[in-house]
Amino acid sequence: MLNIAGVLARVRPPRTEDSTGPLPPLDPWLVFPALLLLALGVLMVTSASMPIADRQAGQPFYFLYRQCAYVTLGVVLGYFAYHINTETWYQRGPMLLLVVMGLLVLVLVPGIGRRVNGSWRWIPLGIMNVQVSELAKLFAIVYVAGYLRRHGAELRTSIVAMIRPLLVLGVLALLLLMEPDFGAAMVIIFVALGMVFLGGVNFWQFSAMQLLVVSGMAVLLWSSPYRRARLSSFLNPWEDPFNKGFQLTQSLIAIGRGEMSGVGIGASVQKLFYLPEAYTDFVFAIIAEELGLLGVLALIGLYTVVVVRAFQVGARAERVRQPFAASLAYGIGLWIGFQALINMGVNMGVLPTKGLTLPFISFGGSSLVVMCVAYALLLRADVETRHDENPRLRRDRLLRKVRAP
Amino acid sequence: MKAPTRSSRQSWSANRRRLALALLGAAAVGIFARAVYLQVIDTEFLQGQGDERFLRTVAVPAHRGMVLDRNGEPLAVSSPVDSVWAHPPTLLAHRERLPELARMLDINVAELESKVLARGEKEFMYLKRAMEPDAAHRVASLGVPGVFLQREYRRYYPAAEVTSHLLGFTNIDDEGQEGIELAHNRELQGVQGEKSVIKDRLGRIVEDVESVREPQPGRDVALSIDRRIQYLAYRAVKAAMIEHHAAAASAVVLDVNTGEVLAMVNQPAVNPNNRQELKSDLLRNRALTDVYEPGSVMKPFTVALGLESGRYTPETPINTSPGYMSVGRYTVKDTHNYGLIDVSRVIIKSSNVGATKIALSMPAEKLWDLFRKLGFGRPTDIGFPGEQGGWLAHYSRWSTIGHANQSFGYGISMTPLQLARAYAALASGGVIRPVSLVKVTQPPAGERILSETTVRKLFPMLEAVVSRDGTAIQASVPGYRVGGKTGTVHKIIGRGYAKNNYYSVFAGFAPLSKPRLAMVVIVDDPKGKSYYGGLVAAPVFSKVMAGALRILNVPPDNVVDPKRQPLGTVASTATSPNAASRVRP
Repeated sequence: MLNIAGVLARVRPPRTEDSTGPLPPLDPWLVFPALLLLALGVLMVTSASMPIADRQAGQPFYFLYRQCAYVTLGVVLGYFAYHINTETWYQRGPMLLLVVMGLLVLVLVPGIGRRVNGSWRWIPLGIMNVQVSELAKLFAIVYVAGYLRRHGAELRTSIVAMIRPLLVLGVLALLLLMEPDFGAAMVIIFVALGMVFLGGVNFWQFSAMQLLVVSGMAVLLWSSPYRRARLSSFLNPWEDPFNKGFQLTQSLIAIGRGEMSGVGIGASVQKLFYLPEAYTDFVFAIIAEELGLLGVLALIGLYTVVVVRAFQVGARAERVRQPFAASLAYGIGLWIGFQALINMGVNMGVLPTKGLTLPFISFGGSSLVVMCVAYALLLRADVETRHDENPRLRRDRLLRKVRAP
Repeated sequence: MKAPTRSSRQSWSANRRRLALALLGAAAVGIFARAVYLQVIDTEFLQGQGDERFLRTVAVPAHRGMVLDRNGEPLAVSSPVDSVWAHPPTLLAHRERLPELARMLDINVAELESKVLARGEKEFMYLKRAMEPDAAHRVASLGVPGVFLQREYRRYYPAAEVTSHLLGFTNIDDEGQEGIELAHNRELQGVQGEKSVIKDRLGRIVEDVESVREPQPGRDVALSIDRRIQYLAYRAVKAAMIEHHAAAASAVVLDVNTGEVLAMVNQPAVNPNNRQELKSDLLRNRALTDVYEPGSVMKPFTVALGLESGRYTPETPINTSPGYMSVGRYTVKDTHNYGLIDVSRVIIKSSNVGATKIALSMPAEKLWDLFRKLGFGRPTDIGFPGEQGGWLAHYSRWSTIGHANQSFGYGISMTPLQLARAYAALASGGVIRPVSLVKVTQPPAGERILSETTVRKLFPMLEAVVSRDGTAIQASVPGYRVGGKTGTVHKIIGRGYAKNNYYSVFAGFAPLSKPRLAMVVIVDDPKGKSYYGGLVAAPVFSKVMAGALRILNVPPDNVVDPKRQPLGTVASTATSPNAASRVRP
């Protein structure tokens, strides 16, 4: 651990305009859980996908190679993202949101967007199909964090200030619902609400708002027959286990087979064409089958470390008066924790099927790459705030500002 | 509104953070609790549901037992083969590979494609069954997706057509269909085992879970057959078949002392290893399933009855002049007018008139009773599927001509096996024994039906038949004394006896001084110049008997001149005078 921490320290942190010294080294408590999750993901996606890869591609490691490629791309893009300071993200936030909204419109255009499993979610980009909703999640967080910095003071007094960003996000959510991608819309709304709450909105106003959003979602759920069907099938999958409840019952069987310590890596039976999407949205079920309750506990533990650490970064950012970095850290932490909980809940039949991936683990290029980039932002926020927390450095910076003409 | 102080803002922010984390933490605990419920509490139900979906019980084929001859030589063995099967949807997804697959399977591409297309929705289809493992592995090594091998067993018959009628055959699923394979299917097949396996959703076995029941391999069945004698008999019968352009032929060799069948051969025959050519006509074990009118070979039994009654001795004169006699509206004929002859010569010359006179001098019931005791008119119960019992009418329904006909073997029918069994009874001095196709450890006691003295009186007559004086010199075996009787029977074709179609029959035993083997040869419809039993069937008898006696190390009882023909060179049949006569057509 220490040794690797040393290696991390040697990664030269980027210089920024307003820092006199080098940025502090990366935080191993942030880096390692994510790396472990990525490694676990590669392992479990490989295990879960080998039968289907062998059958469909004639090549058992088809998904392993792809997943490795996505992880590499994610790390490379994350490296670049890490070198952009938060100030830049703050300034570009609204523009990025506009771009992603544009892409969300594009994805609905039949000639450009690509339809998979009945949803318009992908824009083909040569070798890779980009899922715009993943990008939308990240840019929505960046936008909301920027909004909170810009209008933080108003937010505590004015209800309009609170509703405004939510309206913007409402439009985003609407575009997502048109794909349809209810899961992404839900993640964005809840993460945004969480960020607004942590950003200091009036508690009672927020509660009222929360109620409104929840009831709005309930209406949405009941208004669409396909979502209602999913909802009812999730409530009792054993009623129709070979049709509507097929995927969920297979997932539950997989999890149940895991018992305490699992059937062993590679020994899953449910991945042998029984459980659909065993290496994407339902990879958790295979993890639970092969690694058992202990594996589930470890997984939850890793996510817990990530989320708690992200919140600590947020707290520190608030302390050093960097509200954008704080909101960003809260947002990314909430996103990861939230999406992981939903995915596991879906796999275990406590939530209706959403089409949300397990962060860092599930197979899928867009989700992995975007998640890596988002995590790089979190790392950036961490090092910047730690840098600013150092009193000597802060004094230097203030001094420099004073001396400047 | 006044902005909050820094410290109050910080504590308020910390509270919110704690609240948010607490909510997330509560959700995580909830998720974990759900995992505990699913993986610890509800796991039995879920695993049961899983087992229902992928746990299957499949049969484990039991290795089929061998059929052996009496010396432990294999006659039928199961050898491993591979069946090629496919998962049609997978195969169809790689349709471009069908041509090379078809080439390896040696089938037409279009045919293969249409077969696979017809089962496009199914999970399983055979492409080709029971391939040689080498060839099957060449198919597998093509690596065409969705093509698999399945280990199976296929029956091989090392003796091919020589034992084909006897052994029968198995079907593609290794179940006996005919002959010994059918009769002893239960023992040979053993008991299939069962094992539970995990199957993937495509129906392929991915893992053996446990053995529910071990397969019990089938037991070997040791037949009474001696493979060497069987080969010998087959070769001789086949040669006669070709030489005389016959329609069919059969031969049966019995061990006189045990009732065991040492050889049972038929013509025509087919190689059972080549399944395409299997036709029921070629597979019939005629020696057991076809009945014939035996003709003159029955005369010894008529004479035996006369001798047993005490009213006749071998020397009792019988006037057969003028070579025919009237029985009611019918006439019984001899081929020549033999004039006044004794009982011995009735046999030696095969006089129908003589046999008729002996038979009619005694009650019909007596003859019927003897025939019945000899086992005619009912199957021998040797335990062979499709065995016939022949036809023996009750004496109360015999007319006088019917009674007369019985005396020289007409109006009665039997299988070659039944006839051989009756001759074996003569050979053993009047004791009839059950016959057996499986090896006998404890020879059955048998049942005396004729007195020893009566039968012994018959021996010189039967020996004389196989002499220059008799009808079957060609049945003689160098070094051994042989007794037998010829038969040349008009075949029934349509509603009556055909003029120019015959069965040529010879029945006999050897060595006469201590009989060991009894044998029957029947050649159906010889179309050459000769058709007499003495010319067609007798040479077959001689060839087979000579070889069989030697194979069984039966000591010769007819060494004429030990100086000129010592025991050690008995095999020199080519130099014996009899061999020369056998060459004659």
